[in-house]
Amino acid sequence: MSGSVTRNRKAALLWLAAILLPLLLIIVSLNIGAYHIPLRDVWRTVAGVGGGPGAGPDAEAYRDILFRIRLPRVLLALAIGAALSVSGAALQAIFRNPLVNEYILGISFGAAFGAAVSVIFLGRAFPPQLAAFVTACGAVLLVFVVAGRALTQPVSLLLTGVIISALFQALLSLAQFLANPYALQAIVFWLMGSLAEAGWKELAVSLPLMTAGVVVLLLLRWRLNVLSLGDDEARALGVNVWGEKILVILAATLTTAAATAAAGVIGWVGLIVPHLVRMMAGADNRRVMPLSALFGASLMLLADDLARGATSFEIPIGILTSVIGIPFFIVLLRRSRRVWL
Amino acid sequence: MNVRVENLRFAYRSFELRVERLDCEAARITAIVGPNGAGKSTLLKCLARLLPISPGTVFVDGRDIVALRGPERARLMGYVPQEPSFIFNYSVLDFVLTGRAAYLTPFTGPSAADRRVAEEALRFAGLEGDARRPFLELSSGERRLVLIARTLAQRSEILLLDEPTAFLDPRHEVEIMGLLRRLADEKGKTLIITLHNLDLAARAADVMVFIKDGRVVASGPAGEVLTEELLRTVYELDMTILEHAGRKVIVK
Repeated sequence: MSGSVTRNRKAALLWLAAILLPLLLIIVSLNIGAYHIPLRDVWRTVAGVGGGPGAGPDAEAYRDILFRIRLPRVLLALAIGAALSVSGAALQAIFRNPLVNEYILGISFGAAFGAAVSVIFLGRAFPPQLAAFVTACGAVLLVFVVAGRALTQPVSLLLTGVIISALFQALLSLAQFLANPYALQAIVFWLMGSLAEAGWKELAVSLPLMTAGVVVLLLLRWRLNVLSLGDDEARALGVNVWGEKILVILAATLTTAAATAAAGVIGWVGLIVPHLVRMMAGADNRRVMPLSALFGASLMLLADDLARGATSFEIPIGILTSVIGIPFFIVLLRRSRRVWL
Repeated sequence: MNVRVENLRFAYRSFELRVERLDCEAARITAIVGPNGAGKSTLLKCLARLLPISPGTVFVDGRDIVALRGPERARLMGYVPQEPSFIFNYSVLDFVLTGRAAYLTPFTGPSAADRRVAEEALRFAGLEGDARRPFLELSSGERRLVLIARTLAQRSEILLLDEPTAFLDPRHEVEIMGLLRRLADEKGKTLIITLHNLDLAARAADVMVFIKDGRVVASGPAGEVLTEELLRTVYELDMTILEHAGRKVIVK
């Protein structure tokens, strides 16, 4: 039985790492920024221990920086990382295609278009998160209609996704073209993916939406195993295949739309994190889903720390996740060539 | 449980399957045989409701299966495809656990009791030591056994198996048919299987159903129904039937 003991120990370590890593990164992240705050004072201010750093201008500034700037940003990064990873893993399962993610299915740019239209033309009168959800649903629907019966074929699905994604990118460019210079600048920076604008106001809308979607997907985690066997098999096992698939797609679209509206288009996270998790923990979605949420949150926070801390200027996080993500993905592909784990 | 088919019709392009009447009894193995494209797998998929059928055409103990909801139907009937098209490499136990879907809501996973049912199914199929193995590491024959074990976890009384022995060596062929025999004899399951191998069907099935061009040509116990003339009609090929050790052997 030593094999099973080793396996259990390995699994326990993995879960421990998955839980401790985001906690550790939260502490590090609160400490990173242009304005230096001593670690001791970070703790005192955030946890309210030891009566805080005391009165005085420093204490006031610390509170302001930590609570108004860094903390909402850290929370948003965690939420977006979890949201994109969990929806990526769920979409890969139901489409039976490990290359699928929200970016490839057209959801990301569909959402970006909606959010941009809301910001440029409606002055946010129609909430960008909601606009993003509506257009992202439109993009998914278009992928379904165009792919038609070929939907179950991996290559057809990917090609259709690329086409619809391109359509929404073009529409997005059109919206930018028509935007005034001030709005344009904001849109361009946001599109590259950035958490710089994160504040409690954004969080108040985006966080509940992302949480709702993630919770639904996590609850469906075992069902994803059944759905990933294919439509015929799942139906023979008594599953309402399309009803449940649509639920998964809606939840994944909601989380992605909320994430995109908050921080722009952030690619590759939904692809890399589930892959990495499957390599470490196996294919069972009962483990893959929660572990993807935890590691996804960590990865996004780490990426944001790099974006903020690596250089004197801030690198858009979407660029960073792509620059790190693509070579990483190539390595993954080469290593796991024999089967999709 | 008994399965009755009445005036079943399914058309796809120029092909039409039409079965006036077919009865499959509990604790029996019914083998559907016939040439390629005769409609064997189509019939099986109609019974499993994977293809659309009209109400009042397939009954299980008198209950119309079209009127049943998905989970209800799955608890009565299990379907075993030839080979699962696998993308993710689940463990054998995780795969067999999917057989419990009909007993769970979309938002709940299998409990310890479900796990015990799955483990018992693996034991019955002789796979108790393989629970942790990744599915894709299994041989073709082992995969078929796992697929059958899943329908046991599904606890369905009727098992529909599409070519359960295709591409298997003789040893695995015998092993699979032995398991099916035990399911009929010990558990009283109704087994309906499609088979290419006529010898195997004649040897292992209680009832043979011959299909040609979407129509049932003949059906009955192998000893009675199997004649050289029938084989010539169904396969358009002259074959000789020899008696060996009280069994019919077909020579092509």
